[in-house]
Amino acid sequence: MTTLASPDRSIRKGGQAKRHGRGLTGLLLVSAPVMLLGWLIIYPIFNAIGRTLFVKGDAGVRFGFDSYHQFLTDGYSLSNLWLTLWVTAVCAALLMATCLPLALYLRFAKSRVAALVQGLALFPMFVPSVILAYALIRTIGPNGAVDLVLNAVGLPKINSPYLTPWGPIIGLVWDNIPLTTLMLVAGLGGVSDNAVEAARDAGARHFALLRHIILPQIGNAMLVVLSFTVLSIFSAFTLPYVLGPASPEMMGPFMQRTFSQVLDTRMAVTQAVITFIICAGFGAFYVRSIAKNREARR
Amino acid sequence: MTSQISRRGLLKTAALSSATLAMPRIALAADGFVNVYTGSDSNISDFWTNVILPGFRAVNADAKVRVVDAGDGAGLRAIADRAMAALGTSNDPQVDLFEAYTPDQTAGSIDAGLWVNFAEANVDGWGRVNPAAKQTDFDLPYRGSQVLLAYDATRVSAEDAPKTWDEMTAWIHANPGQFIYNRPDKGGSGGNFVRRAIHEANGRDPMKFTLANYSDAYAAETLPGAWGILNALAPSLYEGGSYSSGNTQSIQLLAQGVVTMTPVWSDQVLQALNMGVLPETTGLVQLQDLALCGGFSRITVPTNASHQDVAMQLVNYVLSEEVQSKIITELGGFPGVSWDHVDAALREKYKDVIPASIPTFPGGDWDAAINDGWYRYVAPGISRG
Repeated sequence: MTTLASPDRSIRKGGQAKRHGRGLTGLLLVSAPVMLLGWLIIYPIFNAIGRTLFVKGDAGVRFGFDSYHQFLTDGYSLSNLWLTLWVTAVCAALLMATCLPLALYLRFAKSRVAALVQGLALFPMFVPSVILAYALIRTIGPNGAVDLVLNAVGLPKINSPYLTPWGPIIGLVWDNIPLTTLMLVAGLGGVSDNAVEAARDAGARHFALLRHIILPQIGNAMLVVLSFTVLSIFSAFTLPYVLGPASPEMMGPFMQRTFSQVLDTRMAVTQAVITFIICAGFGAFYVRSIAKNREARR
Repeated sequence: MTSQISRRGLLKTAALSSATLAMPRIALAADGFVNVYTGSDSNISDFWTNVILPGFRAVNADAKVRVVDAGDGAGLRAIADRAMAALGTSNDPQVDLFEAYTPDQTAGSIDAGLWVNFAEANVDGWGRVNPAAKQTDFDLPYRGSQVLLAYDATRVSAEDAPKTWDEMTAWIHANPGQFIYNRPDKGGSGGNFVRRAIHEANGRDPMKFTLANYSDAYAAETLPGAWGILNALAPSLYEGGSYSSGNTQSIQLLAQGVVTMTPVWSDQVLQALNMGVLPETTGLVQLQDLALCGGFSRITVPTNASHQDVAMQLVNYVLSEEVQSKIITELGGFPGVSWDHVDAALREKYKDVIPASIPTFPGGDWDAAINDGWYRYVAPGISRG
């Protein structure tokens, strides 16, 4: 019960135990997933990049950036990419705005209501997105449940987000609440009650507490949360497909359509590579923050 | 120490036994089942499982037939690619019959001899197949459906329901926000609405478009007119140019009273009416100047199928009067055979709705050109940017 016991200490111990011996067993254990990763992910990445750069023509194999040039000069493709980036940014901002207060509440509340709130916050995790999409059509869709209620009390109908970019945004935010909240709560676990209480004793108000005590300690967790949500929203398919507008499309449905309807596999792969490069940028953020974390703990 | 060894031993045995358990699963493909692949909606796979296969037992009591849902056309294409790759090798393509597939979707497959030629294969029913529905000798049209306009009859009277494209255009502009059609690649009801606009822009002559006459230049000449027509409609459509993401979603919007009129598949709307999804007060109308396109679902059989004999028995059975009549009564579709070859009582009952001809639009390269063109030139619209 020493007040200074921070989670860091136990992790340091675990790290030292790992370094002593059993190195080979560790390598063997990790070799299976690494091999799977190489076969199912690393190889396809290079295969895809190769297929976009090298084209088999009548005069042998030809090298060229023409498919990338075609994508980057095609206004239609670019507007799809912008929409995807915009939806991702809006979703990430909305997720932070809803999940941070939620996570703070779950971290510091001690009441029984908190358990109920936690259950509710995790509920979306167990709802498949197709079900969610149709449920949203029936509730906030045109003449849906919300409209019926509003109509019953004599209010005008809502401007339904169905078939506009806001349709998938609402769905994606709802769908990503559990994971975001969980990761933020985990990050907040590192903030000790004592530090908070000490600051309170020193007269810190709520906002000052958040800004000077809590946020500096969960910066890393927030970065991880952001990169995770960006990655999952960027590649979203079902919700933009069912709830979104016909045009502009998000990259997920756009790639699928280029592949299976337009039958332009090379362009579909090019779109995938461009999407991948953007996502890899956010992935790098995540890897960097993890590496920094490790370094700091050593 | 001993406990550790025994634990390892246990793990080893577990791994071995699970491997042996997995083996018969891998070998399942050669288990004597006849594989029927479908990419259609669940009402079709249900029809195969609950109507066709039980009846087929009277023909061949020993055959074990399995209906596999490939999801959609792209799923079927992947299976056809597998059959194509297995052609000329001793590998089992693990597919014996495609429920709705056309040979043109796998490039070069006809020339390579991947498909059974029904005209030469001694299929009893081939002569009964509706000549208007035939496309090649390698695909067998066994059920048809047409696209109609469905409308809320409490808001539009039967006399006011549009009977021509011009009347429909006038109605849409007079009732802004009350019409929607789905994206052409996401379902045939919207897809054939778009194709009807292409017919409208090209003198209402379906003969102008064939599987063989596609070229980029010809498409560039014939399609932009349709984009103009559809763009002109857009501001008066639901939400000033929104397009639903499938056949079902259009029906849902009609059912929720959000729109008053939408194109629908005949079989799907009849089913929706039977199930009460759409109210009794739903009206159906077909354009009289030129009908909205319909389509036939075509069976194909790969020549390297390991159970080709059973697949051909199945083909014969599907063309029998028994199944063809049930396509009308149970499925709400049209028979693939000429109407003379269905139950006489049914023919009498449906004589008013039997279309004299269902215009069709060829697939092949046209599909990609139409769908992508629509996304580029119509979907972005003017008002919604």
